Amino acid sequence: MGFSTLIDILGSTIIGGILLIIVLRLNDTATEKTTNYGGELSLQQNLVTIAQIMEYDFRKMGYCKDWLKFPDPKLSIISAGKDNIKFFADIDNNGIMDTVSYYIGDFLTSTPNPRDRYFYRKLNNQPPAAINLGVTQFFLRYFDTFGDTLTAPVSDPTLINSYELNIQVETVYAYDEQYSSAFWKQIRLLARNLRNR
Amino acid sequence: MSGKAIFFVVMGFSLLFMIAGQFYNGVSGRMTDNYIDYFEQTTAHNIAISGANMAANELFFDADWNAGYNNIDYQNGKLNVTIINSDPKRHQKQIYSVGTYNNITSEVIVTLSPSKFSRFAYFSVSEGAGDIWWINQDTVWGPFHTQDYLKASNHPSFMMSATTLKGLKYYKNEKTDRPIIHGKYDQGVDLALPKDGVIQVKNAALDKSLDGGGYYLAGADAGSVKLTNPKGKSQTVLRDEVYMDFQGEYLYYKYGYKYDTGKKDIKGNIIYATAYFDSVKLYLPDAAPNGVIFVNNGNIHMKGTISGQYTIGCNGNTESIYGNVYLDDDIVYQNNPKTNPGALDLLGIVAKNGVKVTENAANNNDINIHASIYIENGGFGAENYNTRPVSGKINLLGGIQQALRGAVGTFSGTTITHGFSKQYRYDDRLMVLYPPFFPGTGGYEIVSWYE
Repeated sequence: MGFSTLIDILGSTIIGGILLIIVLRLNDTATEKTTNYGGELSLQQNLVTIAQIMEYDFRKMGYCKDWLKFPDPKLSIISAGKDNIKFFADIDNNGIMDTVSYYIGDFLTSTPNPRDRYFYRKLNNQPPAAINLGVTQFFLRYFDTFGDTLTAPVSDPTLINSYELNIQVETVYAYDEQYSSAFWKQIRLLARNLRNR
Repeated sequence: MSGKAIFFVVMGFSLLFMIAGQFYNGVSGRMTDNYIDYFEQTTAHNIAISGANMAANELFFDADWNAGYNNIDYQNGKLNVTIINSDPKRHQKQIYSVGTYNNITSEVIVTLSPSKFSRFAYFSVSEGAGDIWWINQDTVWGPFHTQDYLKASNHPSFMMSATTLKGLKYYKNEKTDRPIIHGKYDQGVDLALPKDGVIQVKNAALDKSLDGGGYYLAGADAGSVKLTNPKGKSQTVLRDEVYMDFQGEYLYYKYGYKYDTGKKDIKGNIIYATAYFDSVKLYLPDAAPNGVIFVNNGNIHMKGTISGQYTIGCNGNTESIYGNVYLDDDIVYQNNPKTNPGALDLLGIVAKNGVKVTENAANNNDINIHASIYIENGGFGAENYNTRPVSGKINLLGGIQQALRGAVGTFSGTTITHGFSKQYRYDDRLMVLYPPFFPGTGGYEIVSWYE
């Protein structure tokens, strides 16, 4: 074995080592990106799902198929808090008013994310449906007919003319505790039936 | 050998990158799909909402518009709107709007009902030239509209919607005076009283094809009659003053006329008294099948208890001496909706020139009025409001729609010096019910919006 052979072995070892490091680094990056991308996809799906559920309900605030049963839509909102709301809506379009509540609950201990919380939707007297989709924030702002902010909880919900919905969702699991987040905001949402009549 | 190894290494890395690339592309694609799905649904929904708004606007300008929209290109999608007579009995319409975007459809259904003035708790064309303000003790319990300014002082309360043509006027400034409005507030809303609101009621009384017609009295147009008055003198009189006493389903009415008593007061003025023709008894479900009782060119003096749903109207052509309704005593529902929410008794009073609380002994200690009151040219007030004695409260259950804001009393500080204080309460049923053939705004109002 000559000197050049030693150089070859040493060189190939170094190059092999570099390649190995590159492969390990690639693997690490790929894992991180895969986790993040997958998490963000899941996050986006969760947010769209929540947004669609809420849009479906909130658009019906004060609506009744048989309007004669609920002629005064200003009575639609039963209670209005910072992170909870309860209102009347004919959700299943059958002419019978339902009561719908949204509120945020306790922090989840079963997920690594320290900030995600239960998010509840309650229909009539049914047990609340806990939505576990990584909701970390849910808060509402309310405005009177002149556009001024009403202090929540609003003591007289008949003063509410429009409101703002805010919801933040984070990934439940994350690589290296780098949680992705997304924010959905409906600014000055005017439930059409609130302004009827 | 080394060439082969390098080839395998390159191929291996290429394969790895291809797999990873495909995965990331897949994730990106799904995220984009997700976004596009939401975007498409939102766009389809926005198209449907736009269609509903456009159709509602058409109906606002032309209540008979029913053309709809057929497959119109809109926001890169398609828009279809159909107008349906959803409830012919109530003359309700529905706007059925469908938005389509990339094969995703969304629908919006808007229900509209004819808008009647009776739904207003308070309506005025003019709030009066004087210094009349809504103050903090004032609460309007139902929908409010004025073609004038809403003049607010120290936060008056409006428990339902408040709309004005001219806007808000503050006694001092916004901070100290802005009204508390529990429904929507809109300004720039032009909703004038019609010129033919009373005529609509008259036509309903005369037209037998409208649910069998109503009961019509021609008033002064019936001509004069010659009679012997209580003083034994021959007198020619018009049948232009009609005294109505409602007793449940029956109406007792009679004509009244003034005659010279032959006496004079201390100022030397002739003292007149009222004499009456014989009373006529009507069973109202037969006499006025559609619920309208109308006196043309005359005045109505009314009192009693109402059972059923009626609109009492009087016209005065161009002479303001006619077309007035005088409330001689309580006029109330037999079945009071305040104690029985299912009560269906309903009264509309429609006058061309004025509705006044008569100055008489019966009204010297409160008056109870259950009615929605419409006055096309004048206003609601109390007869001799500034000279009559302190008369208690006007307890109104219903609403007032008038051209001019009238006075019911005078006060000094917080003390009533003449006439009445007001205790007006909106009859919530007027949000969904209206007295028969009560004047309409000529348009529709949105009563329900489904999306």
